[in-house]
Amino acid sequence: MVEVQARVEAETPKERGATAMQLTNVAVAFHGRTAVRDCTFDVTKNTVTSLIGPSGSGKTTLLRALNRLHDLTPGAKVSGTIFLEGTDIYRGDITVTELRTRVGMVFQRPNPFPTMSIYDNVVSGLRFNGIKKKALLDEAAETSLRSAALWDSVSNRLKVAASNLSGGEQQRLCIARALALDPEVLLMDEPTSALDPIATLHIEELMKTLKSRVTVIIVTHNMQQAARISDDCAFLLMGDDRAGELIEFDTTEKIFNNPEDSRTLDYTLGRFG
Amino acid sequence: MSQDPVVALLEYEEVVAEPVSATTFGRSWYHYLLLGAALVFTAVSVTFVGSIAWSSWPDWIHHGWTLLSGTGWSSPDGPFGGLAMIVGTAETSLIALAIAVLIGLGTSISIVFFIPRRFRTVVATLVELLAAIPSVVYGLWGLLVLAPWMQNTVNPWLNTWPFAKAIFGNPGQEFGTSLLLASVVLGIMILPTFVAISREVIAVVPQDLMEASLSLGATRWQMIREVVLPTAKIGLFGATFLALARATGETVAVALVAGSVANVQWHLAYPGTSIAAWIATEFGESQGNEVSALMALGVLLMLLNVGLALISRSLVSRQRKALARV
Amino acid sequence: MSDVMELEPSHTGHEMREQIRQSADRNRSRRLAVSRVMVALCSAAIVLAAVPLVLLMYQLIKQGAGQISWKFFTTLPTTPTLLDPTATGGISNAIVGTLALTLYASVMAIPLGIIVGIYLAETQSKLATTLRVIAQTMAGAPSILMGLFAFSFIVHDLNVGFSAIAGSFALAVLMMPVIIISTEIAVRNVPATLREAGLALGAKSHKVSLKVVLPSALTGIVTGVILAISRAIGETAPVMLVIAGGFINSWKPLSPVSAMPLAIYENAKSEWPSQRAQVWGIALVLVVFVFILSLSARIWASRKQQVR
Repeated sequence: MVEVQARVEAETPKERGATAMQLTNVAVAFHGRTAVRDCTFDVTKNTVTSLIGPSGSGKTTLLRALNRLHDLTPGAKVSGTIFLEGTDIYRGDITVTELRTRVGMVFQRPNPFPTMSIYDNVVSGLRFNGIKKKALLDEAAETSLRSAALWDSVSNRLKVAASNLSGGEQQRLCIARALALDPEVLLMDEPTSALDPIATLHIEELMKTLKSRVTVIIVTHNMQQAARISDDCAFLLMGDDRAGELIEFDTTEKIFNNPEDSRTLDYTLGRFG
Repeated sequence: MSQDPVVALLEYEEVVAEPVSATTFGRSWYHYLLLGAALVFTAVSVTFVGSIAWSSWPDWIHHGWTLLSGTGWSSPDGPFGGLAMIVGTAETSLIALAIAVLIGLGTSISIVFFIPRRFRTVVATLVELLAAIPSVVYGLWGLLVLAPWMQNTVNPWLNTWPFAKAIFGNPGQEFGTSLLLASVVLGIMILPTFVAISREVIAVVPQDLMEASLSLGATRWQMIREVVLPTAKIGLFGATFLALARATGETVAVALVAGSVANVQWHLAYPGTSIAAWIATEFGESQGNEVSALMALGVLLMLLNVGLALISRSLVSRQRKALARV
Repeated sequence: MSDVMELEPSHTGHEMREQIRQSADRNRSRRLAVSRVMVALCSAAIVLAAVPLVLLMYQLIKQGAGQISWKFFTTLPTTPTLLDPTATGGISNAIVGTLALTLYASVMAIPLGIIVGIYLAETQSKLATTLRVIAQTMAGAPSILMGLFAFSFIVHDLNVGFSAIAGSFALAVLMMPVIIISTEIAVRNVPATLREAGLALGAKSHKVSLKVVLPSALTGIVTGVILAISRAIGETAPVMLVIAGGFINSWKPLSPVSAMPLAIYENAKSEWPSQRAQVWGIALVLVVFVFILSLSARIWASRKQQVR
């Protein structure tokens, strides 16, 4: 499934922290058609990294390669290497279910499980993983709801159906659900695109506090959002053959102020996209 | 709503009852043509219910509740007890339902999740052909192929199991046609109906809910059991009630393979009958009072079927609305 | 399995993470095994569902093909006797009867069904809402009820007697809801812009309905009609109560007729092995009839989708 290539040992810049995820020449193809390629960058631990670029540039496709969600898509092939804290996640003996407990995901649309209560939603990941101990479930529920800044408003109605929450609260519930497993990395796929501006603001503030606990990789359409919340930025663009590719990866400050590539500048200035 | 262009279950197509446009045909001839046809159809449907009910009237007058609780059926003057048929209908359709739901649920899940996309049309066509086979052909197959097999192989084998006598009785090699055989044939016949609806309600469970569960480390089966099936639950109940409605209404196949004996029979390996099958087998030789008793059984069948179908349809449409909101 | 991603705890303060991971590790292989077993069981179910179809088709072809001959289609049946136990004759009466029943039923059901379907699609009234529910309920009703209806109304009340017309009336009642519902859906699926364009050109609304909307809905309507016919052709229960059968080729509406499903029903119960063998031939012909009809309905429908 994966071409394992010789990994070039990238030197970690001195001022940067330890690396959480390391991508080398990552490409994703569906039925032989490349959707995104040439992605090589390191994600630093306890930072927010955003993937930006116009639609069709393969941001979401790349993100979904990071917790192997493409495994279920027939005809999907991921090449290159992706390391999570030193382990190649596409290595043959990796258990995907285990990987996914370490790399959580939040989706575009708030999608709490409609048949479960708030509490059941938060602990669903633990239950999927066979954890039944009430004390552990309760503790994890409270911790992650607090981390998602939702505890105060729902602690007295944990048994209520999750569908009763507002859109913004539902999305925070989904964040809490992903956090309950205490993952190393949290992937977020345009988590605020379905929310109103105020709920968006809450989520953005939340992300800034989350990074002390988890490394965040976020796909966003919204450049202001990327500028506001992220430490590093990866800019992707659709190439001539309609496959997305990584144009530039750097600190957010560099990407938005003096990028190496003129296309990055054009995009961040809003000249296209 | 459904992915198939031709679903054998047209009555489950959701008709969006919103105005197409402000079409009015004024007082034109076209308006009167449409209205006239609608009135004719109204008359047909009123006559449908009315004439069956009216023909059954003498039986309700003369024999009253015997039809619901009495046993024994003696032509031509009665008594006409319907308990055997009611019990037989319940037994055969419930066992058939268990078979169809068990196999059908697995089939629907496989079709939606495990079968490669390009085979799905093939499987859908096969399911539809299974539904298109006339029920008399299933009956024929049951009577000429399955009944001898039940008689010579299955029945003796069943009785090698402890407790089997309590459930199936011990007919030895005396009977092939039985309530058990009728249930099995019915189960095969209602399977496509159940699959058609359940496949649809499973397929419309939102993709991102499933991905969310996988992203939390769920296995595929956990995703199906904890997320897909609960989300589709109401619609699956709808499919179940529809299959039950079909099973209770099935006539000729049961008439051929159940054995046509009007006894209240709890031992499944013995012959019995159902409401619909009894109407079919007895009608040819019936006269006078018996016709009216059979019509009364028809009324019973109609009420049962309409009730089950209404429950089923309201469940399926509730599911569709719920998922439209999710 | 559990230690493939071993790595030292990256932060302190993650005691809970350790607890979760260890607990998950202990359960993992069991969960994966359960998942594999259940996936296998679901796949087994689909095989199990296919088994009856395969067995049935196998018997049908194996036992039916040998029965088919020119005489089978063209001669009347005969009753076997002790002297000539294999004299079963042909099934021409059943074929003629089925064609006659289907023809008369179509004449009654198709025009009325289509017009009622248009009425449901084009008007909004209490009557339309009620009729929609009635049509949906009737489409799922047990077909034996149509037989009871035809008996009590046509045979008995109108005193027509056992006849082709009574049988085709029962089939027409069976077909009508299917045609009504599929017509309504087909007409509603015509894009509103098409209708508005017609109206904008100043055409009268009933002209638009006839000249613009109906032609675009035609494929869907035809699909529904074929589906209704294929359902009616295989039905035994409604006709067995009212057509009486008989060994004659008759197209007359008022005379008793036979029909293929009825011939199957009667011969399957026959005491003569030769008749029980012949029944497979009739069943094969009937199933081929029905399959051709429902496959052509499918092809019509997919044509509709390509056109759009």
